[in-house]
Amino acid sequence: MAEKEGKEKWGMVIDLDICTGCQACVTACSMENNIPFVGEDEMAYGRGMQWMRIRRYWEGEYPEVAPAHEPMLCQQCGNAPCEPVCPVFASVHSEQEQINLQVYNRCIGTRYCANNCPFSARTFNWFDYELPAPMNSYLNPDVSVRRRGIMEKCTFCVQRIVKGRQNASASGREIADGEVVPACAQACPTDAIVFGNLSDPESRVSQIARSDRAFRELEELGTDSRVTYLKGGKNYGS
Amino acid sequence: MKSKVPIWQRGSFRITVAIILLILAGGAVGGVYFTQIPPEQPIQFPHNFHVGLGAQCEYCHTGTATGPSAGLPTTDKCWGCHQQLTPRNADMELVVHYAEKGLSIPWVPVAIQPDFVQFNHQPHILAGVSCSTCHGDLTTMTVAEPQKGQNMGWCLDCHQKMSTPEEFVRLSDCATCHY
Amino acid sequence: MSDNISRRDFLKLSGLGITAAAVMTGCGPSSRYVVRHAYVDMPEYNQTGVSTFYATTCQECPAGCGIIVRTQEGRAIKIEGNPNHPVNLGKICSRGLTSVQGLYNPDRIGGPQKRSRGEQNITPMNWEDAVTVVTNGLANSGKVAFLLGLTSDHLFDLVTEITTAANSMPPFRYSSLATLEGRATLVKATEEMFGKPNLPYFDISNSDVILNFGASFLETWISPLAYSRGFKNFRKQKFGKRGYLISFEPRQSLTSANADLWVPALPGSEGYLAMAIGKIVAQIKSLPIPLMYENITISDASKISGVSETKLQEIAEIVARAEHPIAIPGGGALVTENGLQTAKAILGLNILHKNLGVPGGVYLTNGDSPTTNLDEIAKLIQEMNAGNIATIFIHGTNPVFELPKSLGFTEALKKVPTVISFSSFEDETVIESDYVFPDHTGLESFGYQRVLAGSDREAISSVQPVVQPIHDTKATVDVFLAAATSVGGDISAKIKYTDEVDFLQQKITPLLDSGGFYNAPELPTFWSKWLQYGGWWKPEMGLEIPEDNNQLSEKIDLKLPKQLSENKEFHLITFGTQMGDGHGANRPWLQETPDPMTTLTWNSWIEINPDTADKLGIHDDDIVSVASTTGGESIEVVVYRYPAIRPDCVAMPFGQGHTALGRYAEGRGSNPAEIWSSLLNQAGNLAVFETKVSITPTGKRRPLARQESKAGVYGEH
Repeated sequence: MAEKEGKEKWGMVIDLDICTGCQACVTACSMENNIPFVGEDEMAYGRGMQWMRIRRYWEGEYPEVAPAHEPMLCQQCGNAPCEPVCPVFASVHSEQEQINLQVYNRCIGTRYCANNCPFSARTFNWFDYELPAPMNSYLNPDVSVRRRGIMEKCTFCVQRIVKGRQNASASGREIADGEVVPACAQACPTDAIVFGNLSDPESRVSQIARSDRAFRELEELGTDSRVTYLKGGKNYGS
Repeated sequence: MKSKVPIWQRGSFRITVAIILLILAGGAVGGVYFTQIPPEQPIQFPHNFHVGLGAQCEYCHTGTATGPSAGLPTTDKCWGCHQQLTPRNADMELVVHYAEKGLSIPWVPVAIQPDFVQFNHQPHILAGVSCSTCHGDLTTMTVAEPQKGQNMGWCLDCHQKMSTPEEFVRLSDCATCHY
Repeated sequence: MSDNISRRDFLKLSGLGITAAAVMTGCGPSSRYVVRHAYVDMPEYNQTGVSTFYATTCQECPAGCGIIVRTQEGRAIKIEGNPNHPVNLGKICSRGLTSVQGLYNPDRIGGPQKRSRGEQNITPMNWEDAVTVVTNGLANSGKVAFLLGLTSDHLFDLVTEITTAANSMPPFRYSSLATLEGRATLVKATEEMFGKPNLPYFDISNSDVILNFGASFLETWISPLAYSRGFKNFRKQKFGKRGYLISFEPRQSLTSANADLWVPALPGSEGYLAMAIGKIVAQIKSLPIPLMYENITISDASKISGVSETKLQEIAEIVARAEHPIAIPGGGALVTENGLQTAKAILGLNILHKNLGVPGGVYLTNGDSPTTNLDEIAKLIQEMNAGNIATIFIHGTNPVFELPKSLGFTEALKKVPTVISFSSFEDETVIESDYVFPDHTGLESFGYQRVLAGSDREAISSVQPVVQPIHDTKATVDVFLAAATSVGGDISAKIKYTDEVDFLQQKITPLLDSGGFYNAPELPTFWSKWLQYGGWWKPEMGLEIPEDNNQLSEKIDLKLPKQLSENKEFHLITFGTQMGDGHGANRPWLQETPDPMTTLTWNSWIEINPDTADKLGIHDDDIVSVASTTGGESIEVVVYRYPAIRPDCVAMPFGQGHTALGRYAEGRGSNPAEIWSSLLNQAGNLAVFETKVSITPTGKRRPLARQESKAGVYGEH
């Protein structure tokens, strides 16, 4: 699935040096995207629905022990392993935003895509998770509520991208850098997450992505992921 | 005594299967039909009359050019004109009833999309699409009627006709409507 | 078998047809069209399908962050940070984000109730009767007590006016969060060092080395978002400079996990460490050794704290080389018996570096500093037991859950004839109350919040309703104002406000032209700006500069931390989590958001060093009985083997273990407050870290829902 260079190529940089691992992005994502909570048992079965998770790996031995925190979300690969395996083209590449889309109304729940995702970034609706009234009142009207049997994942808050584009075009201009911010980056207390258009070399995200500390997860797989991490913490300067 | 004719060759079996299939098909057709008939409205609102009086669509459906939803008129909006009128029929008396009690009129919108479709009026209006392109000719309708065949192919068809191939990249992108 | 199809069969088959119709058309004909109730009179600023945003203040913890709430068609959808607000500058934490789950919680109390204590015997009442009950309570002004939360809000100001007018006891305040933060100790130490009982503001943005003694400032401490922002600036300074964070804590918190150097020091020994560091730094910089730090030898400090001499030397050298090293006395170091002296020793390090009132240094926040003084609560309990309290009003706190059981609040409450709670939820205190008169939740109410400890300038944050109240609730301020009008006597004579908004407007009138970032000629203009911007604050940074009055010449006396018998007795560390003071436990997304360090969800746990656990024969997910060695109380809790904790300490999160508070909170985990020691330090702060416990395996197991195991913890399924 080769990509044509368009005007938009959304990407993200996560600076692990200032990411504290506080989980605000996880909650923000969940509240923005109508992600259902599944309860203790389902969490214990590994069926949590968070589109984002903070991977925590312990490094070292007591007392020189510290966790490495790394936010993990859909990497919106340019060359995505999830796309070719979908029998119904529910997992497709978007020509416009250059991200991976999950088309809920096409998805039939084969879960091939999740099996093929090297980042474990996809979550599956094993059940219909009802929100008791009046809790359904806070659901975001811009995001579909998914039903049982549907695969879902981080969308880079595509509803905000579309809204940003429509707002910009309504006033006859291009989307400005920093105009579209996904919920995680908006919440991040330390501004560790930067989001923007990678096709614009002057955008803030492009500039930061050129840092010497930049790396991408599982780069050797050649998935051309759109999320760049900046080394941090104990690796700083190395 | 056991019959030697295999079960699927018996007339009775075939008739039973045919009836089951007929009933299934009939049910499905009926179901589809039921989704296509306009729902019951609280007031038999004569669109044709109001349009004929020269009312612009945007006068009541104010949100079209500025947001995703055209919006339904508030009771106060109806009352703005109707308080100057003497009710001539039962429907007009209903307007008085709703306005005087301060109740909202329980309209049932018919131009609706499924939950997984995110439709936005604003870009369509700004692109110069007229209301009647999608909502039909309201000068001939009393209550609004659902338009037939408004499926995704219909959307894409129009998107393709109205755009250049470069624009169609965006206009055919799944995330334009589904997220 | 008949070949004829009976009527019955036909009906069955027709049923099949209807089912087919339903299946093949999605979900059936009837659900395709939905009745929409349009506005009767839509406000000018609203448009169907377009969001309206309101600026208000987050009420989930006392930090007072500014939030912008996205609403659509009268529903609160999403909480976002207020980019202009001096505390959080547009940022927001998990707790703030989930406040809509508090507003729309299915377990909210729908209206005023009369209750039988301890039972589910509830009689709904109307607000007129409720106001009469409150009036009767206020009438007996000598025997009335108020127990409020920590927020310095308009309710606190009104209650203070009422108690002053009636000459009754001033309102008491309690929050377990403040207890764990060591707020009372910090404020007292600041008073003794700098002459003002105010919370200090630590400008970590501009400092190059942070010596953090037990402050979990990235999670809950004082104003976590403000300090998280500061942490970012601290790491990303001009010219690529990166600050160096050293953290002393027996159990690695998220803050220590982000430190460049984590030093696991024995609880209660932080004062010795501060003294030793002060002494070495003075030596390195060839300063005269201040009296405060004279009385220690490095080897003693090392022996007591378990931190090696070379490490102390190394740390002191880093500090001595730094331009603006800042020392923060936080929760862990302060909630011990040595707390007050320790806080002074740590604050002293800032004086030693002349790091007062300079960028990267220590400042003092304005005005009163809300604290939780357990001395006072103990006095209240005494009064209650003595029968001197006829009516107690409880708002914004859940004392039955949050106070240490050993203090005996619950028993004392039984001796109070009338207990009135204003809680929105049926929490543990409501269960023990006679009346509950639910207040609006934060997103439905008006108000203001003074004293923002995370703000680098004078600021008052405004609160406004973003949605119509969804239940039959009434603002507590309005209830008190109505009661104050009808009670007569001094109260009616002195409290003259028509309603809550009138009270607020009278209170903010002095701000009209006092140099904020906006001014207004008259109140209505000011009021609209006040609501629009989410408060009022000064245009530039400005805080009081603490004075150096030679405080370093004061000697410090520390008590040696108690020796524990190895592997039998442990220090119990209690740490705050995203549940805050426990009221976050009924927000399902706070439950489901994993704990940052353990990735645990929906439960509480006890952290044990794997070496210690091996010696005791304890595995992950074992249930152990944790018994206080002083009080005799015990709780059962599930083990999480935690690699970053001292072997002689165990740690538990606070906030779970509810016996009430609704479907999402009840019956999850255990509440460490049940085994807390009721020992106080010199500042009247509960010395939580002085709790010593023994650990006994029960032989039971319960797998905890950990996200770190993506495959799940239930094994094959």
